[in-house]
Amino acid sequence: MRHVKDIADLERARREIMKGRDPDARVVAICCGTGCIACGGLTVADAFRSEVDSRALASKVRVLTTGCHGFCERGPLVVVQPAGILYQQVKPDDVAEIVETSVEGDDLVERLLYVDSASGEKIVREEDVPFYKHQTRLILGRNGALDPTSVEDYVAIGGYGSLAKALDAMTPDEIVATVKASGLRGRGGGGFSTGRKWESCLKAPGDVRYLICNADEGDPGAYMDRSILEGNPHSVLEGMVIGAFALGVTDGYIYVREEYPLAVANFTRALDDARAAGLLGVNILGTGFSFDVAVARGGGAFVCGESTALMASIEGLPGEPRPKHIHTVERGLRQRPTVLNNVETWANVPLIVDKGAEWFAAIGTEGSKGTKIFSLVGKVNNTGLVEVPMGITLREIIDDIGGGIRGGHSFKAVQTGGPSGGCISEDLLDLPVDFDRLAEAGSMMGSGGMIVMDDRNCMVDIAKYFVGFLKDESCGKCTPCREGLRQMHAILTDITEGRGEERHLDELEYISWGLEQTALCQLGSTAQNPVLTTLRYFRDEYRAHIEEKRCPAGVCKALVTYSVVADACTGCTVCAKKCPSDAIEGEPKKVHGIVQDKCIKCGICYEVCKFDAIAID
Amino acid sequence: MGLLIIDGHEAEADQSRTLLEVAVELGIEIPTLCHYKGLTPYGACRICVVETIWKGKSRLHPACTYPAWEGEVRTDSEMVRKARRFIVELMLAEAPDAVEIREIAEKLGIEGTPFRTPDDARGNKCIMCGLCVRTCRDLVGAGALAFRGRGENRKIANPYGEKSEVCIACGACEFVCPTDAIDLSLITDLTPKPLVSEFDTGLVTRPAIYLPFPQAVPAVPVLDDEHCLRTLLGTCGVCEQVCGPDAIDYDAEDVEDAIQVGTIVVATGYDEFDPNEKPELGYGMYENVITGLEMERLCSASGPTMGEIVIGGKSPKDVVFIQCVGSRDQTVGNEYCSRVCCMYTAKQAHLVKEKIPNAAVTIFYMDIRAFGKGFEEFYDRVRKEGVVYRRGSVSEIYRRKDRLVVRGEDTLEGEPMEVEADLVVLATGLVARPGTDHIAGLLKLSRSSDGFLMEAHPKLRPVDTASDGVYLAGTCQGPKDIPDAVAQAKGAAAAAIVPMSKGKVTVEALTCVVDEDLCAGCKICVSVCPYGALSYDEEKKISTCNEALCKGCGTCAAACPSGTISMGHFTSEQLLAQIVALIGGGNG
Repeated sequence: MRHVKDIADLERARREIMKGRDPDARVVAICCGTGCIACGGLTVADAFRSEVDSRALASKVRVLTTGCHGFCERGPLVVVQPAGILYQQVKPDDVAEIVETSVEGDDLVERLLYVDSASGEKIVREEDVPFYKHQTRLILGRNGALDPTSVEDYVAIGGYGSLAKALDAMTPDEIVATVKASGLRGRGGGGFSTGRKWESCLKAPGDVRYLICNADEGDPGAYMDRSILEGNPHSVLEGMVIGAFALGVTDGYIYVREEYPLAVANFTRALDDARAAGLLGVNILGTGFSFDVAVARGGGAFVCGESTALMASIEGLPGEPRPKHIHTVERGLRQRPTVLNNVETWANVPLIVDKGAEWFAAIGTEGSKGTKIFSLVGKVNNTGLVEVPMGITLREIIDDIGGGIRGGHSFKAVQTGGPSGGCISEDLLDLPVDFDRLAEAGSMMGSGGMIVMDDRNCMVDIAKYFVGFLKDESCGKCTPCREGLRQMHAILTDITEGRGEERHLDELEYISWGLEQTALCQLGSTAQNPVLTTLRYFRDEYRAHIEEKRCPAGVCKALVTYSVVADACTGCTVCAKKCPSDAIEGEPKKVHGIVQDKCIKCGICYEVCKFDAIAID
Repeated sequence: MGLLIIDGHEAEADQSRTLLEVAVELGIEIPTLCHYKGLTPYGACRICVVETIWKGKSRLHPACTYPAWEGEVRTDSEMVRKARRFIVELMLAEAPDAVEIREIAEKLGIEGTPFRTPDDARGNKCIMCGLCVRTCRDLVGAGALAFRGRGENRKIANPYGEKSEVCIACGACEFVCPTDAIDLSLITDLTPKPLVSEFDTGLVTRPAIYLPFPQAVPAVPVLDDEHCLRTLLGTCGVCEQVCGPDAIDYDAEDVEDAIQVGTIVVATGYDEFDPNEKPELGYGMYENVITGLEMERLCSASGPTMGEIVIGGKSPKDVVFIQCVGSRDQTVGNEYCSRVCCMYTAKQAHLVKEKIPNAAVTIFYMDIRAFGKGFEEFYDRVRKEGVVYRRGSVSEIYRRKDRLVVRGEDTLEGEPMEVEADLVVLATGLVARPGTDHIAGLLKLSRSSDGFLMEAHPKLRPVDTASDGVYLAGTCQGPKDIPDAVAQAKGAAAAAIVPMSKGKVTVEALTCVVDEDLCAGCKICVSVCPYGALSYDEEKKISTCNEALCKGCGTCAAACPSGTISMGHFTSEQLLAQIVALIGGGNG
């Protein structure tokens, strides 16, 4: 993209881009988010390019490789525009047919359309798919419309218009006031008012301030920030530049984990392109305002998502938190006032500046405004990234968007807020998604992890998993977190392995109290949430483990036995063939049996049996 | 500024200070482990948590990092006690071998821990407070230690697990470690050389800034420039940080001052005889062979053991004293009696009996010289207390199993003998200090055959020297005990006052005269004058005579190669005229 001289020139540049594009041209948008890449998205994209070339359609058809569309369950995803036809689970072999039928022609490749699991009907348009229909995709929606490595694409859809508006028509104070009035709260987990944070930073003494984008997303199963950075890096950058102008900052950082290579590459590319286009660096849009962003790559320690540990890491010190009695907005990076916001928060800023605080505040609930992106994973039919307005109920997310529980099983719990969040039981499914309401239920919004669990999940095992994760990811600096989590994990291990004792429940609660009260940072002081919430909502399961030495979900290996249900067994021999420890004996067409001494309880027989003839007790 | 109330005590709120600092000032005790005055507060161990109450809301915060903001603070509430119990219980499980943690637990009334010690923590003493890492990095500037791993796998080790190349074996990590968990041999191949306390005769270590001894005047610490990390490497600086009155000045240098004085009293003292010169006694080889001076510190209530006689962690049962070590001994060149050893040995034997009543004490002696006032009576008393005096000469000390054997001859019985001991005290004698030569040269003093400085006359002028205005006091003149030293010092002081109060001195009638026209400035006279009366005049380039010092001995006149110096009233012409008169010459 050419260099933009001044604010008015941005609109001219946008028109130049649009002029070079045929509004009626067919666009094939192939999702190349990490999920779809894993399913072969890149080879599908290559196939489209060569197919388009071989048919000499290059001038009429644009093959667009985009960031994550969200419906990861059904990748690789291909959307043909302008009709908005969604093809799912596309293989390279399907490409020729798609091009012939839907790109050159105006027909549909029926077999690749999404079939609604409830009605059994085929759905043509992306926006009509239930997974998307119930979402409000303010941020993620743009992912499908642009190539993340193209600044022109972003400008073409009006990108950097908010920056132009902020620089042209707003004072820094007005921007801060707008963000404050919008009710935007930090999307990284804390849920602190972004506007108030900015305000405090402005009030803090000192002439040098810093601004940081926290992209150290580390919750197991969460990839919201990753997908924004990979799919639309300029939206985050634009938010940061607006923030820098509002806060009088000249140096910004993005702290992104090295495990997100595509996010690092796309954001670095975005920085270079924005600099070349005059949207970043010295004299932005000819206004005299200068700001630049450096990429700080993290080593992947979960604790580095904590603000002070993150800042220590940027400073080149070990990533360990320090006390935050004096907030980082006053004494942050290099002891200077620092505003740190999460990727999603920054991505919201241009929207607020563009459409106004009132528009944003109209979305959501009283205390939580706007939309929130969740990574909906676990035992639901439709896993993927979902963006929903605040206030939507958990039930709507799981049933309407997620398509309910997979495989006819029943819902047991949903875990929100990442490893420090909590597990919420079915009777709370009508709880609206809201920072304060989730906290009341003992969980938290967190950065947007949402793991759905069914009757085959053992809640003690789940608590053990999260405590184990936090135990390994604790930096080890303070005693309660390092040793408390180790003890907590040891107790949970005892319970899941049949050594549980009555006193263990009291001890878990005692350690939980100690963690919350005395741990140095949020990692430690919220680490008890998975234990406390499972104790609160699923105490019976703990009791079954301790008193009856029984795992109701049949997960804890030490407490279960596998057996053959004689009536159901057809003697197909599949289980015997797949058993890795040769523990299943039996002749074809005769009822099989499991030799318990040899059984390693791997569960493979249960998985492979088509006749439900394996029972877990 | 607002008001801060800690346990009912009022203080001024001050954001630049921590709650801990204010509490300490108020005399409120808060346990700490990861805190060290010279280091940035770290807030890791959490044992210092206190309850802060702000707008009716109670929260726990570590006192070491929490700013002294206004509000109410409780350091011993139920909530605080519960939290500290939690922390200590975790530490007891984490570091089962840390005696100090068990002591803290006991102090806080915590009997044990409900938590299990993980398998990999058996025998562990470290509680990960990080003092060693932070001290090495922030104070020593070496960075030889670091945290490795995270969470439960956090370890304190050298980077890459290899022995450190940057460790200077200063031992600071060992010093700051609250639980004695540092094994320096795992960190470096270097051997630490701890600074030892000179005053405590090397029995304990001392820091690089220290008070030389408890009664030092002025009572001001001295900085050991040769070992201070700040002056050597520019790191550390803890003393400056913790010094309230801001009295530390690293740039201060030794200053040489020239002072004009009327008289000088030399009181440079003595040195203890070095028992290494008698290797057969095993000093330096066996830990439980010590000198009289070391025994003195061991018995002292202000000494390193608070007066408890312990050697190798044990209280000795058999104690042997050997007298005349380095005194009355021609083999080491000291023929003289050191005069104090008989009585200090008796005193120490008495102290052993007093502190360890069932200890057997044997003293080997040549003769007992209990000549002072009350000395003989004391000697009698010590013998009555059960101390065995045995006349004998010790030929060697050696080890048999874990005990010492003193072997020699009982000179009364004329029989060889062997005595077993847990502690042998060598009654080391007094010798002239190595610097005596320097002092003697400077002040033109003489030394007697024993090496001590010589008085002007052994009977009539015991505090004077051959140099007018220079006096002697104490053991620089010869071995003596404290009362004798005090008496001589008073005498020297009185003698020194005489010329000063007169304001003038009587010049000898007969002094040397330098012929300024003839003197070539060869300085031979300056070097030979025993009274320091001749000096070289840099301006005139000739020798000049200070008539107040000249005794008219004539050495200079005899040594002057050009005959420039003559003696007043005894010029060659005068002498020749007298000779001529004597032999009846002259006119005839």
